Amino acid sequence: MADDGYAVITEGLRKEYADIVAVADLRLRIPSGCIYGLIGPNGSGKTTAIKVLMGLVRSTAGSATVLGQPVPIKAKDNRVSYMPQELALYTDLTVHENAQLFSELNDMEPSTFMEREKEVLQVVGLLERKDDLVGHLSGGMQHRASLACALISVPTLMFLDEPTVGVDPELRSGFWEHFRMLKGKGMTVVLTTHYMDEASRCDLVGMMHKGRLIAEGAPADLLQETGRDNLEDAFMEFIRRCCS
Amino acid sequence: MNAKRTFAVTRKVLRSLRHDRRTVGFLVLMPIFMIAIFGFTFGGEVKGVEVYVVNLDEGAGNVSYADLIVANLQHDETLNIKEIITPSSGLADPVAYGRDKVVNGEAWACIVFPADFTLDIVTYVPGNSSILDTASITMLLDGSNTNIMQSVTSTVQTSMAVVLYQDIGFTSPVRVSVDMVYGDDMEFIDTFAPGVISLAVMMVTFMLSIISFIHERTTGTLARLLSTPVTEGEVVMGYAIAFGLIGLVQSLMVLATALILFDVQVEGSLLLVLLIIFLLGVGMQGLGFLLSANARTEFQAIQFIPLILFPSILLSGVFWPIQAVPEVLRPISYFLPLTYAVDGARSVMVRGWGLEQVWPDLVILTLFAAAMLALSVLLMKRR
Repeated sequence: MADDGYAVITEGLRKEYADIVAVADLRLRIPSGCIYGLIGPNGSGKTTAIKVLMGLVRSTAGSATVLGQPVPIKAKDNRVSYMPQELALYTDLTVHENAQLFSELNDMEPSTFMEREKEVLQVVGLLERKDDLVGHLSGGMQHRASLACALISVPTLMFLDEPTVGVDPELRSGFWEHFRMLKGKGMTVVLTTHYMDEASRCDLVGMMHKGRLIAEGAPADLLQETGRDNLEDAFMEFIRRCCS
Repeated sequence: MNAKRTFAVTRKVLRSLRHDRRTVGFLVLMPIFMIAIFGFTFGGEVKGVEVYVVNLDEGAGNVSYADLIVANLQHDETLNIKEIITPSSGLADPVAYGRDKVVNGEAWACIVFPADFTLDIVTYVPGNSSILDTASITMLLDGSNTNIMQSVTSTVQTSMAVVLYQDIGFTSPVRVSVDMVYGDDMEFIDTFAPGVISLAVMMVTFMLSIISFIHERTTGTLARLLSTPVTEGEVVMGYAIAFGLIGLVQSLMVLATALILFDVQVEGSLLLVLLIIFLLGVGMQGLGFLLSANARTEFQAIQFIPLILFPSILLSGVFWPIQAVPEVLRPISYFLPLTYAVDGARSVMVRGWGLEQVWPDLVILTLFAAAMLALSVLLMKRR
């Protein structure tokens, strides 16, 4: 169960690599059942923050809980799913074989998988290509296959690192419909993006700059606070405020 | 440990291979190629070695032992006598002519019978003749290949002994009686076939493991696997089972090839040989994983391959015994897992030993495999 209605809580979370501070004293409160966007330019610490929350990288300081369990979670379960920024799929396996692998690793029953696979591949537009090797797909299709593998296990919380990079606008719109549908079922979606127009589709946005969370709130509130009419300008305003 | 997740990892490794025909070809053909090449190269006896004979023997009465020995040598397949030079050949210096042939690389040896060869034999009186009175043969040898050199000298000595025994009943006062405890009718290939099988499996599992894991790390798939409920132990075990199975299939292919092409001996239990190879494959997979952690790219990873393979090939008793390894290097031999796999597989295949004799090898290989797997899990957890 999530703590007090929060799927993710972090307190003073910090990650340093040699003399680089990738994440600095991150304090997050991500409510369950929302779409939360971590936005910021490349190198702002979004991916590192997600990797720490997934237990893939150890934090230098601070604490975090994911679905009520302290990170790194000792006995992981299939309630949390992760789509990394890089492809991270087996290019020498087919789309179906990759999806099946991730379903098995998430303890799904074969019958549930069959149904779920069809549904998910339809969402990402790869149903017709499910028997193709991932290595034979175009870059965009590979990215969609990666999203399909993250969606396959019907998790409670999803971390999606740049899920819409290289995806054409029509399909991107389909993705967002699916995210909203997942949210409707009570799922929490935490995604990173550097597309500001996408960030406006999130329920809540956390703006990151040089490892720090410089602003957080609903897109409309952030626009109002800065008096700007788009999130890109609002983001620049927050950078100006925090660095001045 | 969850068996379903473990086997999912195993199936993933094997499925990847199914789509990669070139790697499957490599896995199947490389060990067969190795045993075939080694078998044909070392398994055959030395035959058709080009030699020249300078026969200056003047004989005694109407007999010439040199003629008889040369005739005997002509029937031996080891030597290919290119020319027999006699005083009637019209050469001013027949010995220099024969030496030139060896010097020029046209022959491996020139066998010179002196003029009084037969005379020295017939006038030899045991106990009364000095060493200077004994008959002698001079061999001008190209010793650049010890195998060939030894074959030529032993062929000539055998031929000489046969002729002298048949004609004048001369025998050595000492006879060595050999009673083969193991390895009766054994050829060289029987000794090294167990070694080559172990070596082939070791090479392939180690290479495949180190490359697979560096690929898993650099493409992010390992991190993604570990983001699911699968544990580090299940990933390591899933891989170990897959690589152990690959090793088993390979050893069966190599054994079949060795049996069909070279009729190698398998005196003991084939299952025991396969168990030894399986443990070696699992251990080498673990070692490959551990070393892959110290490499950032595939190029860096392959630099470890000769570092492990060369000492294993040279010091593990694959081709020559550990007793032939210099003492200063012998601790390395005892440190190499291949040493125990070769010893175990050879003892089972040639000596026909069972579990009650080869258990020490099995214990060491099991400990090696267990240690490698445990270290792999620890390393994965430390990420």
